[in-house]
Amino acid sequence: MSALALAAAQSPKVHLTSQTRIIAAVLAIAFMVLILELIRRDKLQERYSVVWFVAGLGMLAGAAFPGLLELVADAMGVRDTNVALFSIVLLLLLGLALNFSVIMSRQAAQITRLAQERALEKVSEQTASGHNGSEAERERL
Amino acid sequence: MRTLVFIPAWNEEGSVAAVIAGIRSAIPAADVLVIDDGSGDETAARAREAGALVASLPFNQGLGAALQTGYLYALREGYDCCAHLDADGQHPPAEVARLLAAIREDRADLVIGSRYRDPGKARSDDYKPTFSRRIGIGVFRFFLTLATRQRFTDTTSGMRAANRRVMGLFSERYSPDFAEIESLQLAVREGLRVEEVPVRMLERAGGSSFLTPLRSAFFIFKGMIVLLVGQFRPREAKAER
Repeated sequence: MSALALAAAQSPKVHLTSQTRIIAAVLAIAFMVLILELIRRDKLQERYSVVWFVAGLGMLAGAAFPGLLELVADAMGVRDTNVALFSIVLLLLLGLALNFSVIMSRQAAQITRLAQERALEKVSEQTASGHNGSEAERERL
Repeated sequence: MRTLVFIPAWNEEGSVAAVIAGIRSAIPAADVLVIDDGSGDETAARAREAGALVASLPFNQGLGAALQTGYLYALREGYDCCAHLDADGQHPPAEVARLLAAIREDRADLVIGSRYRDPGKARSDDYKPTFSRRIGIGVFRFFLTLATRQRFTDTTSGMRAANRRVMGLFSERYSPDFAEIESLQLAVREGLRVEEVPVRMLERAGGSSFLTPLRSAFFIFKGMIVLLVGQFRPREAKAER
């Protein structure tokens, strides 16, 4: 066990290869182009695109300056920069998914209220057209 | 005193007319509103024929949203008190009249009709819960009592009467998918007087309960989370009410 820990401590840091860096940079650029295209075609609203654009820039920065990622990995106490990268991306995606759930909940509440308002409007149309429910209703009108 | 009785109904074309007729004979002074929760059948037409007002939600929203629609209507149209009951014929309208009487006498802000309050008086045609349902009832009773420090026996009762304070609260804050239990917790937390009145309920006329054992377990689990979270929700300022 201790031998293993020693070996781990002595083994060199795992870096991103230049091949991964190129692939990542190309993907990041393609991703940002896709975002812009979606906005241009009105398939994505600007207010929901900012976070994705920032993610794209982050990817690009990580590919262009691998030192940045190593800095972060060191701060996290992770020897493998790839593990640090995956952890960060995973956390970000988790946060985004949660953000969407919050937005969805808000919109569900708005849709419910809209449906209720519409239903109540139809009731006032019914009372206005003289179709009255009860004795009390007839007395009042 | 202007009174509104509202009935949330989802695909209840077979029983809704009889329920409306029952209310109009038992509580002739009340206006009757049916909230058609996106029914695919003739519920709205049957209700209109029976002389009720009908609020049709454009798509199915769930019981909580339907009930909230009723409270919202009662609040906006200036009713002094309101009551609601199920559309499946389980709730005798005469019992609803007793709940409304308690509101008119200002004995409470919110009155719940309880099937279990007076078990000694049960009659043969009365509602009898199944075994899995009895477990759920016991669990909710325990946790709601713990949360509110008030004894409730029929936490999921859909037969209730309320005054304007409750209309104001429920038309703003009413949980869409766990309406019955959370609303009791909310009302007690907001300092409203909630009271149970023993009522008779009948076996349902048509339809069957949606609960299977697995669903029951999920329902109970969800209910416990809802109650736990509800304990930490911010209270509204008393002055606002």
